Amino acid sequence: MDLFDRQLIFVVGKGGVGKTTVACSLALAAGRAGKKVLLCEVDGLSRAAQLLGVDAAEPGRAGRMVDGVSVMGIEGSAALAEYLGMVVPVRRFLQAVTQSELYQYFVAAASGLKELMTIGKIWYEAQRTDERGGGRQWDVVIVDAPATGHGLQYLRMPSAARDAFGAGLVRREAEKVVALLSDPKRTAIHLVTTAEEMPVNETVTMARRVREELRMPLGALFVNRLHTEQFRPADIDALLAAARSSRQRDTKLLLSEVASRAAEESGWTRLNKRYLRELERDVPIPRVELPFVFSEEFGRQQLLELVDQIEAAE
Amino acid sequence: MSAGSRKSIADVVAGHDVVVCAGSGGVGKTTTAAAIGLLGATAGRRTIVLTIDPAKRLADSLGIAELGNRPTPVPVDVKGSLSAMMLDQKGAWDALVERYAESDEVRQRIFANAFYQNLSGTFAGSQEYMAIEQLSQLKESGDYDLIVVDTPPTHHALDFLDAPSRLGNFLDRRVMRWFVRPYMSAGWSGLRVVNRTAGALLRRLEDATGVSALADVSEFFNAMSALFEGWDERVKRVEELLRSRQSAFLLVATPEEQVLSEAEYFCSKVEEHSIALRGVVFNRVQSELGSDRQSMEEDAIVEALGRAVTSAATRRRLARNFLRYETQARGDQLRIESFRDQLSPAVAVATIPNFEEDLHDVRGLRRLQDFLGKPG
Ligand SMILES: Nc1ncnc2c1ncn2[C@@H]1O[C@H](COP(=O)(O)OP(=O)(O)OP(=O)(O)O)[C@@H](O)[C@H]1O
Ligand SMILES: Nc1ncnc2c1ncn2[C@@H]1O[C@H](COP(=O)(O)OP(=O)(O)OP(=O)(O)O)[C@@H](O)[C@H]1O
Ligand SMILES: [Mg+2]
Ligand SMILES: [Mg+2]
Repeated sequence: MDLFDRQLIFVVGKGGVGKTTVACSLALAAGRAGKKVLLCEVDGLSRAAQLLGVDAAEPGRAGRMVDGVSVMGIEGSAALAEYLGMVVPVRRFLQAVTQSELYQYFVAAASGLKELMTIGKIWYEAQRTDERGGGRQWDVVIVDAPATGHGLQYLRMPSAARDAFGAGLVRREAEKVVALLSDPKRTAIHLVTTAEEMPVNETVTMARRVREELRMPLGALFVNRLHTEQFRPADIDALLAAARSSRQRDTKLLLSEVASRAAEESGWTRLNKRYLRELERDVPIPRVELPFVFSEEFGRQQLLELVDQIEAAE
Repeated sequence: MSAGSRKSIADVVAGHDVVVCAGSGGVGKTTTAAAIGLLGATAGRRTIVLTIDPAKRLADSLGIAELGNRPTPVPVDVKGSLSAMMLDQKGAWDALVERYAESDEVRQRIFANAFYQNLSGTFAGSQEYMAIEQLSQLKESGDYDLIVVDTPPTHHALDFLDAPSRLGNFLDRRVMRWFVRPYMSAGWSGLRVVNRTAGALLRRLEDATGVSALADVSEFFNAMSALFEGWDERVKRVEELLRSRQSAFLLVATPEEQVLSEAEYFCSKVEEHSIALRGVVFNRVQSELGSDRQSMEEDAIVEALGRAVTSAATRRRLARNFLRYETQARGDQLRIESFRDQLSPAVAVATIPNFEEDLHDVRGLRRLQDFLGKPG
């Protein structure tokens, strides 16, 4: 599977399924493979920087590169201001504009403008050339997109802008962005989900919309937080029976607790399996299965376990 | 404060007429709201749950999968009654337009207006606002003793609180009047009065980008001026309802670090909104089973399992599985404890385990409901 052999990769999925975790793991795996990686965080929470253990730079600026990965926070208003800086080069005027109430109306009214600018900024980074080397600045730009509905809105903006706006600067630029986003050789949209009811339903819809409405190239489906252990009911029953007949209080408790954890894990594994089958049937794209990593606190060490899995899949 | 020394969520529900469930995306707001509804109905109250985007199977079992945008009785055996209703955002805006547009022609123009389509679909705060708008309609109907309000999936739980005033501000800023005045609505000329420099530059921007946003806004506000005249009043009424003693805010959170830090921020801000936080629901918590056994060595556990399970490999797997869960549980517990410590003693708390089954039917909701009744 080629999971990061693209110029631009979007990681999308329902809230909380592990988009940031997967985007970080992908970035580390690509970095290990010797690539220069830019990881873009769009939702403004700097969780990725935190997970990777680097300081977050100010919005729109690439942070220091560590292990081949540099993190950038992208924020709609900052991207818009940056863009306006190019269109309206006179700083004094620019400030008058962005600080006026009118500007707030403009941005709110042209809803989608911020999203458009965000995607524009991502496009700019993805095709940007390295001033010294002459090659591309980044081998791969990985985008940790906001949760589903909103995430797709970002992806939709360039073609919406191209179709809706009259001839103008935005239209011409939108066309270039659309060309990159819909080119399967250069771009991939990776989906992330867990094998549970709501995320799976949303993923099925999302896959269809990416294909049919957005007409963008789907990459792989990451199924995250999978439970895999399955214990035989007979073993669990035997534990419970032993717990009942044991006369020592500590042993009694231990046996019943081990049994209940075994039943719990088996339950999750069964549930995950059921939804994995649904995904197999309804989202027929290459799949990467990532285990639930148990820990007191999910951090860099847990992340590295997932990186190993991704390298194995790649 | 130790576990069990606080009021239960059920106590809070019993003492209020409106219960709002807020929290970050995906933490279980919709599920909790449904369970609270069931709790109220079981206690004999005429209850309605105003839900947003429920899992399809939950919607099915509540009977609101189709035509859910009006109160629909839920077939459950309870002392009171339970209805559910889905927030239909687009439909609600359209209904407002239907009501306030002065002619068919104006109505059609609004429906076709690009700004309206954005406003009703994706405009920040509009979904939250419509939830609150529908809440006040339900309240005024007098048909219910208890209204449980689910909130839209936002990254920030606070968005819900901000929505009415944010939308109110947006619609009420002084500048907006320029849009509404017919003689000023010819486009940019009116705006120059407000800010010459900005007006001129934005006009250039509009030319360059091909976005005709402000013309759309202007048209929209003209057509809808009847609606917006009463807007201030409505926003104020709704805010008063949310702030009154009849309403309780509950925060739903999972024991993950980023969710809890978001929750912490929420708690620190509710006061600024003059809204009292009445309870916190910790959802999907891995509970600790026995604090003295979780520090046992793997080998010791394997040995203790000796007589019960014959396969050595299975014993090893069982022991590892047990310890993995206990590790996870310890983390959850530590994070929750440090969060609880900062809550005022008056705030009720419930801890709901992470069930290894879907909670998409009344039976599942009942399981959850039991935990809402335990003292925090
Ligand atoms: N494989 C895994 N095993 C165990 N825990 C995981 C795993 N993947 C993610 N998590 C945990 O799940 C939670 C959500 O993950 P993450 O922040 O990556 O999701 P997200 O989709 O980016 O969320 P959001 O929509 O809020 O941005 C985090 O607490 C993370 O540590
Ligand atoms: N305690 C629990 N144990 C197991 N599963 C749960 C629990 N609570 C909620 N879930 C499941 O988690 C999923 C998300 O729950 P829910 O829809 O209530 O979250 P939400 O906060 O409303 O999400 P959103 O922000 O997307 O609206 C559902 O599939 C639900 O069944
Ligand atoms: Mg994230
Ligand atoms: Mg919900």
